[in-house]
Amino acid sequence: MSEKLTSKQLSKKITDEYMEDAFRAHENGKLIGYSTAISPVEIFVAHDIIPIYPENHAVANLTAKKGAQLCSITENLGYTSHLCAYARSDLAYRESGITVTKGIPEPDLFLACNAQCFTLTKWFQVLARKGNLPMFVFDTPEHIMDKKARQEIVKYCVLQLKELISFLEEVTKKRFDYDRLKEVMKYSAQSSILYKKFLDMAQYKPSPISIFDALIGMAIAVYRRGTPECVEYYQTLCDEIQAKVDQGIGVLPKEKEKYRLYWENLPVWFKFSDHAKLLGSYGGVILTSLYVHAWSFDFDLDKDPLVTLAENYVSVFSNSTIEDRVEMAMELFKKYSMNGMIMFMNRSCKAVSFAVPTLKDILVRKTGIPALVFESDMGDQRFYAESQVRTRIEAYFETLGRLQADKPAA
Amino acid sequence: MWENLNLKQIVEYAKDPYPSIRKWLKEKGKKAIGSTIADVPEEVIYAFGFLPVSLIGTDKPLKKAPSRLPDNGCSLARSNLELALSYEGDLFDGFVLPQVCDTTQHLSDIWRISFPGKYVESYLAPRQVDRPSARYWVKEEIERLIASLSSWSGRSVSDKALNDAIAIHNENKKILEEIYEIKKQNPGTMTNKQFFSMVKLAMQVDKEEFNKTLKSIKAGLKPKKGKNYTDVILVGITCDPPEVFDLFDEIRLNIVGDSLVTGSRYLQGIAAQNGNPVEALTERHTRNGFFSPIHDDVYKHFEEVKALYNATNAKAIIYVHIEFCESQEYDLPDLRRMIRQEGIPMHILDTEYQTVSLSHLRTRLQAFFESLKGGSL
Repeated sequence: MSEKLTSKQLSKKITDEYMEDAFRAHENGKLIGYSTAISPVEIFVAHDIIPIYPENHAVANLTAKKGAQLCSITENLGYTSHLCAYARSDLAYRESGITVTKGIPEPDLFLACNAQCFTLTKWFQVLARKGNLPMFVFDTPEHIMDKKARQEIVKYCVLQLKELISFLEEVTKKRFDYDRLKEVMKYSAQSSILYKKFLDMAQYKPSPISIFDALIGMAIAVYRRGTPECVEYYQTLCDEIQAKVDQGIGVLPKEKEKYRLYWENLPVWFKFSDHAKLLGSYGGVILTSLYVHAWSFDFDLDKDPLVTLAENYVSVFSNSTIEDRVEMAMELFKKYSMNGMIMFMNRSCKAVSFAVPTLKDILVRKTGIPALVFESDMGDQRFYAESQVRTRIEAYFETLGRLQADKPAA
Repeated sequence: MWENLNLKQIVEYAKDPYPSIRKWLKEKGKKAIGSTIADVPEEVIYAFGFLPVSLIGTDKPLKKAPSRLPDNGCSLARSNLELALSYEGDLFDGFVLPQVCDTTQHLSDIWRISFPGKYVESYLAPRQVDRPSARYWVKEEIERLIASLSSWSGRSVSDKALNDAIAIHNENKKILEEIYEIKKQNPGTMTNKQFFSMVKLAMQVDKEEFNKTLKSIKAGLKPKKGKNYTDVILVGITCDPPEVFDLFDEIRLNIVGDSLVTGSRYLQGIAAQNGNPVEALTERHTRNGFFSPIHDDVYKHFEEVKALYNATNAKAIIYVHIEFCESQEYDLPDLRRMIRQEGIPMHILDTEYQTVSLSHLRTRLQAFFESLKGGSL
């Protein structure tokens, strides 16, 4: 009997098989569909289109500190330095072939969902033009607070999902199988519940996971949701983390875990481990962000699959109003007992970042917790000022320390 | 207020329309609703008896907006927010704000939270227009806007009021288009700055009054061919500050075609009259494709620009780039390549709403057109 794989081994196996399948797609009569990370990819999976996420590939390169080199190549093509670093590094990869991975297969078609941002649509348009390839924009109007408007928005999105299915049938000359979609949705729903369970383990004290574990752990949810292996992976991961909880193992030992922090925005990918170490040295652990929760969907399998897909994808944090984003963050503050917040103004991501100053003001007012705000870029090291960020982090922990010392003993 | 203006006054009012709007609102006892470009059907706001005012930035210093929108936000968005936060906010009882790009993704939230006492509504025009669902959604959004204005104001609006508003707006666009034709053929008749100030002011003041001015100006025009003009096409979203037009006028450029939201894309927005007004406004939106060039497919944009260039026999294209407009910036490298491959001379002007010195723009523009005429750089 073979030994059960660890989540790390399973993640590698799933990823290797996925990429191998993707590189052999055409041999196996399948198409490659480039997709935005938050998009109703279940429809691709149900139609045997292999989804590839250029954002994930960009993350690999940016984490490996290739950002400045790649972005410069794209800027020499005439693109400005303030466009998204994912897009700039990807366009440079197309031009130069530079990558720290084996690269990603070329696309046959595109699906751009603008619930994340509009940049992805523009970026995919550039790629689609190069190959004269078909592209479908799944337009998700902002999930505004008016309840009646929300119903109408979902109706509009369902109409578009039907158009997406027709588009795929046209491109592939193959009839869409709704029964298969129901099966895919079942896996997606199961893995989403488990993924959320994994993220929510950060509520334990000490927390067995930090956001850095969450960022690594979310990868399979991003690119393999809708498959049984995705469910298996998150079950294994949850079991492993639960074992840590049972043994009282935290990212930091219980007595050293002083600051349980919220992070706003995407991470600074190339500073990933440095930030974890630096914060840890002050007794700080970043527990969560709305970003990592973006893939903890809540699919209702009793509903028409297109309706529950529309409802989930249109209401992700990046497409919600600032007021709703505040509510989502407040829920995390309460659930995870957080006592600090780092608000990252990410030059690469205008769609998420331009809400941050307003969001920060409201969260500070509602929680009474001071915020650390810093501006940089998620992938382009040229916009990262090491000493400035370090000084701000140090000053922030001094402030938090003072506040904690001033608190009357319980 | 705006019914008997001459060209000089139009330029002055367009530069700063707000004192006259303030005075007019007081005199008429009316309310103003501001909207940022593009796509908001101003006829609907007008039909409710409000003054629709397109917010097109300010060159006044930024004081409060940078704390809400950082410096990599498009200067038009920052400048509009500043206009309302620091300078002219008292004028407006409400705002209708479209969501068109990353900068505007949460703009209506920021405005709603920044102006808690005012009416702030989103207008969520579709960001795809080639499929049937887009038409469905435009109609839904127009109907939602009508319901929202009705709920806020306690007023209802009839089809007749909507059709009357459409008629007044159509007339405005038609006269402007006629004046534009005269100016294109006879560039000595009026400056580029005068004409584009006219369009801009039309987007901000009462159309019924301003139509009287436009009719009178058109009737009094004495077409003059003028000498040594170079015909050009202006491509972009907006062209600001208005002094940029002075640069064009200084070197005797004649804009014979454009794709500006504050130019031809506004003039092309004539809707069908006397039928179902919501259907007419929906049809207008889908017929025009994207009212703003922001979502346009670059090939389509290129074909439109090329057709305009060929039809007008222009000598060059001037592309107006707004600093930090990512929508333009993703398209520009390919658009520039296609235009240049076609052998069409193209000059890119980098603009910003808070620009105080235009000397570098002047130097580059002069150099481009000298080289076009065979001179040396």
